Amino acid sequence: MSHTLAAPAFDPALIARYDTAGPRYTSYPTAPQFHTGFGAAELREAIRVSNEEPIPRPLSLYVHVPFCMSPCFYCGCNRVITRDVGKADRYLERLYREIELIAPLFDRDRTVRQLHFGGGTPNFLDMPRMRELMESLARHFSFARDNAREFGIEIDPRFANAEYVRGLGEMGFNRISVGIQDFDPVVQQAVNRIQSVAETREVIEAARASGFVSASVDLIYGLPRQTLAGFDRTLTEIIALGSDRVAVYGYAHLPDLFKAQKHINADELPDPATRLALFGRALERLTAAGYVYIGMDHFARADDELARAQREGTLQRNFQGYSTHGECDIIGLGVSAIGRIGDTYSQNARDLTGYYAAIDAGRLPIARGLELDEDDLIRRTLIGELMCHGELDMQLFGARHRLLFGEYFAAELARLRALAADGLVTLDGRMIRVTARGRLLLRSIAMCFDAYLHANEAPKRFSRTI
Amino acid sequence: MRSENQAGRLPEPPSPIADDGDEAHFCRTCAFASACQAVGYGKPELRELHCLVEHVGPFRAGEYVFRTGNPFRAIFAVRSGTVKTSMVDKEGREQVLGFYLPGEVIGLNAIYPEHFPCDAVALETSYFCRFSFPAMSALAARMPAVQTHLFRLLSKELGSASLLAGDHSADERMAAFLTDLGQRYAARGFSGTQFQLSMSRGDIANYLRLAAETVSRVLSRFRSQGLIQVEGRQLLILDPAALHHIGRSLLPD
Repeated sequence: MSHTLAAPAFDPALIARYDTAGPRYTSYPTAPQFHTGFGAAELREAIRVSNEEPIPRPLSLYVHVPFCMSPCFYCGCNRVITRDVGKADRYLERLYREIELIAPLFDRDRTVRQLHFGGGTPNFLDMPRMRELMESLARHFSFARDNAREFGIEIDPRFANAEYVRGLGEMGFNRISVGIQDFDPVVQQAVNRIQSVAETREVIEAARASGFVSASVDLIYGLPRQTLAGFDRTLTEIIALGSDRVAVYGYAHLPDLFKAQKHINADELPDPATRLALFGRALERLTAAGYVYIGMDHFARADDELARAQREGTLQRNFQGYSTHGECDIIGLGVSAIGRIGDTYSQNARDLTGYYAAIDAGRLPIARGLELDEDDLIRRTLIGELMCHGELDMQLFGARHRLLFGEYFAAELARLRALAADGLVTLDGRMIRVTARGRLLLRSIAMCFDAYLHANEAPKRFSRTI
Repeated sequence: MRSENQAGRLPEPPSPIADDGDEAHFCRTCAFASACQAVGYGKPELRELHCLVEHVGPFRAGEYVFRTGNPFRAIFAVRSGTVKTSMVDKEGREQVLGFYLPGEVIGLNAIYPEHFPCDAVALETSYFCRFSFPAMSALAARMPAVQTHLFRLLSKELGSASLLAGDHSADERMAAFLTDLGQRYAARGFSGTQFQLSMSRGDIANYLRLAAETVSRVLSRFRSQGLIQVEGRQLLILDPAALHHIGRSLLPD
């Protein structure tokens, strides 16, 4: 299957109308549906079942490093601010124990095709610690051969240099994701993240020189004191850096949920119109520079594997956004990490105290999770199709899942028709197609099919749709 | 999310359990119906047979239908589900003897020793017809067709081990195994090219005397050759002829 998606069309008035709270659907059901009834025993059973498939899925590891040297005020991640590397040792000790607990549960012939280090700041770990961690992973799991694996890491360039990146390359990393957010000094001051173009370039160029296949950079729009002119200059710098992928996230100001955000002066946040214009500018500049809009927050060069996977119909959603390795079972390692084994999701304890307590008692540190039922599985597939490929053949989908699509999704289609009236999708007897205008409102389209959202008017704790 | 509203759900694919037979008709998968019908016995004539049959189940995945050493009083015909039979060798290792599909009979190997020489475990929710063996023997004495069919079942049981005998490659074994399963499903009126592999890869490996990794490696190779499609436990045979050809030395002509 292969098709080309319509280039996204930026319609600020329309987007403003749909600018409500909504999940990002990196998982379906979304994390608020995870419950404590799913624990270590349920995870073990899910792993056992996954080993027994005729061709067990390959593995993807997510490793969470929760430490940061300095607090960025916009951050909504699970992290601990410290300059004390000793804290990392106490953490790593537990992480090694977790690896020893969980790795033997997986059959040894299930190779690790994908590895992602996220944070926090993974490069909080210095070279020797990083090497030890990678050696532990390699000892307990079977890594796939070099050309068959995708090993990525998030890097804060303020605390990494070319030598460090070269070292990562030698350890087997071949994808890098670099945090930038905005190069505008006024904005950097407001969010407590002072980062020069030069130190960013050093990291990206070192990655390229060390044979990394893909480099990605992250921007955030909607930050305090951000202006169109300043963001435009940032975009010029970004395009000059020439990374393979760019992610442009919207800042969600939820200071009650994320303490660090209390340091942000809400009066300095751009108004909704400016916020939208910022994203519109990113879209315009990046597509003009040859980037393809993948969906949600993600752009990629046309020859990048993400864009290729989208053209070939093999793109999937995962916790990092979009993935070319959707076929893997995901093992989450470290505090707050989320895994996806077979038809289950599971999340580790979200605070260090709980995480350490479980490990010290010799238990898998699962705090909550979910086993998907048939309806969940159907909706997960459907939402994934719409968000990755922008279209759905209702007849084919119905036949594949033993549904009369129109009846099973009668309420959902009624919701979708309202979006069709606004030009976000087209609907005929057979196909749902996301339009050029709808491509920027994928969340709103996916939300029509979220059974939980409409069952009990779930509390709105999600960030804005754009 | 489970909802009470089942509108728009299409029925499950044909399941033998949905079809329990009645006064005039046999269950669709009855292990004996064809034998009886072939010689002109209809169900009304077989009231006696019906009397000695008892519907049992459900047995959940992992539950034993019988265990090694249990006294032999009955044979079991699978109405729905899948059963694995196995025994434990002197070194304490499990040896998988076979897999039984709807319409097939387990327990025949207990006729002579009068106790079950193996374990039978349901691999998924399964239902059975339990045939009291003393009553069945009495009936067979009076109805030659039933006796002939019993002998046929017995000889089939003896012959089924040939899938494993001899010096054959992993590819040959696997191709023969999948072809055989497909043919058995097809013989009972199910799809012979699209079915669920309810046995674990460990069980398949054990049965074919291969390593679990080899099972997956061979299946992956068949997949990349376009012979099969595998999604979870769902198997789709894309090229039955090619698969049969690979496994031909192990398969009956």
